[in-house]
Amino acid sequence: MSSKAGPAAALLILVVPAAAAASLLVGGTPLTVWQIGTALAHPHAPGVLGAIVWQLRLPRVCIAATVGASLALCGAMLQGMLRNPLVDPYLTGVSAAAAAAIAIAILAGVATAITPAIGFVAGLAAALLVAALARRGAGIDGNRLILAGVSLSTLFAAIVTLAIVRAQSSDYASTIVAWLAGSMAGRGWHELAVAGPYAVVGVLLAFWSVAPLNALRIGELRARAVGVNVDRAQWIILAASSLLASSSVVLAGLVGFIGLIVPHFARRLVGSDARVLLPACAAIGAALCMLADAICRRIVAPAELPIGVLLAFIGVPTFLYLYLRPATADSGARV
Amino acid sequence: MIELRDVELRIGGRTLLEGIQASVGRGELVAILGANGVGKTTLLRAIAGLHAPSRGTIFLNGSSNAQLGSVERAQRLALVTGDEVFLDSLNVRDVVAIGRFPHHRWWQWREQSGDEAAIARALSALRIEAFARRYFSTLSAGERQRVWIALGLAQETPILLLDEPTSHLDVKVAHEILGLLRSLTRAGKTVVCVLHDINEAAAYADRIALLGEGTLLAIASPEELLTEPILERAYGIEMEHVRLPDGRLRVYAREYVTE
Repeated sequence: MSSKAGPAAALLILVVPAAAAASLLVGGTPLTVWQIGTALAHPHAPGVLGAIVWQLRLPRVCIAATVGASLALCGAMLQGMLRNPLVDPYLTGVSAAAAAAIAIAILAGVATAITPAIGFVAGLAAALLVAALARRGAGIDGNRLILAGVSLSTLFAAIVTLAIVRAQSSDYASTIVAWLAGSMAGRGWHELAVAGPYAVVGVLLAFWSVAPLNALRIGELRARAVGVNVDRAQWIILAASSLLASSSVVLAGLVGFIGLIVPHFARRLVGSDARVLLPACAAIGAALCMLADAICRRIVAPAELPIGVLLAFIGVPTFLYLYLRPATADSGARV
Repeated sequence: MIELRDVELRIGGRTLLEGIQASVGRGELVAILGANGVGKTTLLRAIAGLHAPSRGTIFLNGSSNAQLGSVERAQRLALVTGDEVFLDSLNVRDVVAIGRFPHHRWWQWREQSGDEAAIARALSALRIEAFARRYFSTLSAGERQRVWIALGLAQETPILLLDEPTSHLDVKVAHEILGLLRSLTRAGKTVVCVLHDINEAAAYADRIALLGEGTLLAIASPEELLTEPILERAYGIEMEHVRLPDGRLRVYAREYVTE
């Protein structure tokens, strides 16, 4: 384990509750820390304060944390498995398929309550299709996986564009676009209860994949030589990634940046040991998403900024500065 | 220890090697020789369970290789390959520690008792303790090769397979590595390695397995094999035999000697 991993991990444990607390403080109604603490301590107390905290802010904070942690974990696992730093959680076509299915559902006038479920099923179906196309022997061919995912994503994106064009004259177009931009507005405990269990299964599978991911750092052939069942590891990582990505798509639409960039950032912070990297990614992703969501709610209140837009505007330049600045002599390869 | 019965290996739809019959005993060092593309690496990977034979069976300690699980196999043999790999920020010790994978259950994230000592022994055997904390990406080719061998040693298996362990190494380091392999066999380890230099193989191996013409042409002691015209058949070039003052035999390509 890297020597820098210990202190950095300890710091990250503190960052998550701090981000959650900051996110709980932000909203249309100004509340003090004391009021929020009181409301949290009395979950069944009647009144507006309890309703704001328990029905509006807390579920949203939990959703943001789930989405951020899921996407970052998913990105870290896929990048590790494919040993490709450009891979993101949506590689397997999950998001594009979910977007296409939801766009069609919105256009067809399907009740909004069940559109997330449609997106979830479509996302998993796309992941299965991509996996089937990428299959080689008992395992998965990384290059075929990337090619199949990118190709199918392009096809699904074309379907979304077609749906938007068809819906241009109605309100449906703005509903589709809002969903594509990523947002947690209007989501609550119900959505979390639906998608959360799948994310939990994804996290459990991620725990299983820690040792294989660590061995895969020295290449697939050598990982096989030290006893990793690479074929099985690939299927499990793909299943975990698909569950995590689909859950987050259901909860927040398409939230970019986190799944691609957080794993890089975490690797610089704690190294590439999956025992520390995966929890660090989950923590950074959760904290980042909670803070970003809070800013989105505040910055153009009473309207909301799409979280994907904010993350790209602030996150990308920050990341580029951190990542592309000249390396120190002993920093080694950074990906 | 290792037994190959009528093994046939196909790659890309064509038969590379067939009719391979051989066995390697405990504590033996066998070098695999042959011209480029003859199937040396494929044969080594087949023994390692990473390339399934299209016919025949490979046995490890009496068990069919195909019946062994990936972890069980990795507890019996370690494969050291020289393929380049794009490593992220791993230091030397991190790399060597991965050799302990087959000794852990999936939930055992922390190093177990015995890991520390096994890693230290592997680092010490290759004399790389001094740069255990250096990033792998900063090492020279020779140093990297030592790390890959240390990774194989950290697996602590009775069988060690090596694919061209002396490539990229200067003559001194190459002989240190081969000397190490020799000492490992004295401690009871079985070593099979693909080599390119016939005289290196002759100096250190108990037996040489010579591949050519799509099969195992011979598996014999260096003295027997080097005196046979079969070596010339395998490489398609005439050989000059030179007897050293101490009686050992060396061979050189005739063109090289006469020029």
